Amino acid sequence: MKRYEVIIVGAGPAGLSAAIEAAKKGLKVVVFDENDKPGGQLFKQIHKFFGSKEHHAKIRGYKIGEELLKEAGELGVEVVLNATVVGLYPDKEVNVRINDEIHHFKGDTVIIATGASENMVTFPGWTLPGVIGAGAAQTMMNIHGIRPGKKILMLGSGNVGLVVSFQLLQAGCEVVAIVDAAPRIGGYGVHASKVSRTGVPFYLSHTIKQVHGEDCVTGVTITEVDDHFAPIPDTEKFFEVDTVCMAVGLSPMSQLLKMAGCVMEDNPKRGGQVPIVDEYGETSVSGIFAAGDVSGIEEASSAMIEGKMAGVCVAEYLGYIDEEEKDSLLKVFDADLNSLRQGMFAPKNRGKLIESTEEGIEISKNLLKKGYVKDDEIERFPGVVHKSGVHPVIECTQNIPCNPCQDACKKGCISTGKNITYLPFVKDGSECINCGMCVASCSGQAIFLVNEDCGDGSATVTLPYEFFPLPEVGTVGFGLSRKGEKLCEAEVVSVKSVGAFDHTNLLTMKVPKEYAMKARFFKCS
Amino acid sequence: MNTVVDRSIDIGEFIAQPDDDMLICRCEEITKGEIRKAVHDGMWTLTEIRRYLRTGMGLCQGQTCSRLVKGIVARELGVSPAELEPATARSPMRPTEMRIFGTEEV
Repeated sequence: MKRYEVIIVGAGPAGLSAAIEAAKKGLKVVVFDENDKPGGQLFKQIHKFFGSKEHHAKIRGYKIGEELLKEAGELGVEVVLNATVVGLYPDKEVNVRINDEIHHFKGDTVIIATGASENMVTFPGWTLPGVIGAGAAQTMMNIHGIRPGKKILMLGSGNVGLVVSFQLLQAGCEVVAIVDAAPRIGGYGVHASKVSRTGVPFYLSHTIKQVHGEDCVTGVTITEVDDHFAPIPDTEKFFEVDTVCMAVGLSPMSQLLKMAGCVMEDNPKRGGQVPIVDEYGETSVSGIFAAGDVSGIEEASSAMIEGKMAGVCVAEYLGYIDEEEKDSLLKVFDADLNSLRQGMFAPKNRGKLIESTEEGIEISKNLLKKGYVKDDEIERFPGVVHKSGVHPVIECTQNIPCNPCQDACKKGCISTGKNITYLPFVKDGSECINCGMCVASCSGQAIFLVNEDCGDGSATVTLPYEFFPLPEVGTVGFGLSRKGEKLCEAEVVSVKSVGAFDHTNLLTMKVPKEYAMKARFFKCS
Repeated sequence: MNTVVDRSIDIGEFIAQPDDDMLICRCEEITKGEIRKAVHDGMWTLTEIRRYLRTGMGLCQGQTCSRLVKGIVARELGVSPAELEPATARSPMRPTEMRIFGTEEV
C-alpha cells in the first residue's frame, strides 16, 4: 500500500490550491481526479472572475486553472487523472479505481475537494433528451466544442444560469427566455444586464409547467406562480425550443466524507449534506479536511482560499510548520475570504431582499425583475456621470466585492472608495484618455466609454463585445437598449482587440446623440 | 438526526396525484407514485426506500435523484427534508464492475 502525506480528492480550484500550499511546505502530495482533465469547473469558466487582485480578479477561469496546474507541477505535486476514488475509510485508507484495478493508498492526512453536482427539478417531460443541466451545457460548449442546441430556455437566474446563458449566446445559440420561480433575479445584476441587452427576456415568478416532445424536446410551456409558488391559471406561455437548461442550484458531493465517518449535517444554507467542519475545514475525523463546494456551496474564488487553508493546516498537522507560522498564514487567508464574503451577495445575505446599496442608493427594482436598469433609474448611480468628451460610464449598481476597474485606469479616473464593495465612481477632474482598459477589465461588462456629443449630432459609445464574428468598421446596424430593443441606427466606427484586453473586444458605435445614454449594445442588421 | 422514527404518526391514506407517473429515479425507472406508495407501505427512511425500490442504486448512484426522492418522502411524511437522514454512503462510491472491484492492487 502506497503512502502519501496528503491525499487530495478532486483537482478543481480547492484541491489544486490545497496541493500547492501543502507542497510549498515540503509535503508529499497526490491529487486524484476522476476526470480525464484536471481543473474541475475552472476550465469551463471562460468569463472573467470578480474580486480583487488576490482573488485572481479579471482573469478568466480557465487561465486560473492553467496557472494552478503549472504551479502544482513545479512544486512536484502528483496529479493522477482518470482516477476515481471509490472509498474512504476512517483510518484514511483511500481506494482508487485506476484503469481496471482498485488501488489502495494510505494518507497521513486527506483533503476532500470533490465539489458539487447539479440539482434538477421535475416537471412533465423532464426526462426528455434535450433537458440538461446548465453545467452540462457548459461542458459541451467549452470542453467539447459542441453547441447544446439551437433554441434554448434557461431555468434559473442565479449566477450559473446567467453566465451560462451568456456563453450559450456566445456559442451562437438563441436563448428564448430566462425563467425563475423566485420573484427576483438571484445572480449579479451585471450578469443579468449583459444578457438582457442582447434581447433575452426574463420571466421571474414563473416556472416550467411542461416540456413537450415525443423523443426529444420540441417546446416548453411556462406558467406564472404566486407568492407560494403555486401556478396561476391562464398565465401559460409557450416557447418553441429544442433544449431546456436547468440551473437550479448545486448539491455538495459529500458521500466520501459520510463514508469516512465524519459527522454530517443537512444544512440548506450550505446546499445540503455537508460535513461539520471547523473554520479551516477540518472534519470531526482528525486529519480529514474538506475544502470548496463539498463543505458548502459558494464559488471558485472562495474554494481556492479554503483549499489554501486546508493545505496549511495539514502542513502544521504533520509538523512541517509550527503553529505560529500556520496562524500567520491563516490570518492572511482569513482576510482574503472575508473580503470575498462581503456585499449584497454575501452568504449572510442569501435570500434577503436588499433595497438599497451600502451608499444608501435605492436598488433598481427593474434590474431585479427584468434584468436591466431602466433609463430613469440609471442616473442615480455614482458611476453614471455626464461630461464633455470621452468619459467612462460605469453601470455598476450593486455592492459586489470587486475592483479591477480601479486598477485598470492608469490615469486614476476610477475609484471604488475605501471599501471594495462600494460602487465605483469617476473622480472629479480626472482625465480620460479613451484607452479602454476600464471597459475590458470590468468582469461584469458594465463600463462604457461615451462621448455624449461629437459635435455633429452624433455620440459614440464604446462597449465590451465578446461575440463572433466581430463586426467590421463601417458596418451599419442597430443600437440596442439595455433591454435589447432596437433603438436607432448605429455604425461601427472602431473595433479594438489587443492582448491587454484579454479577448474582450472594444466596439465603438456611432449613434444619434439622444441615444448616448441609452444605446448599450450593437446588433448587425 | 433522523427524527422521523416515531412510526405511530398517522400520515393518512395514499391519495393518487396527477403526476404520480412522473419518473424520478431515471436509472431504475421509479416513479413519484411508487415512492409515495412506498412511504405508505411503511418505508419511512431513505435506506428503506432504497432497499424497497432501488432508487439511487443504478448507474448514477443517486447523483440526480437522491435529493428529489428525499423531498418526496419528506413531503409525504409532513417533515422537512433536512430531518431525514440520508441513505448510507458506502464503497464503491461510483458504479464499478465486479471484475474491476475484485481486481485489487494492494
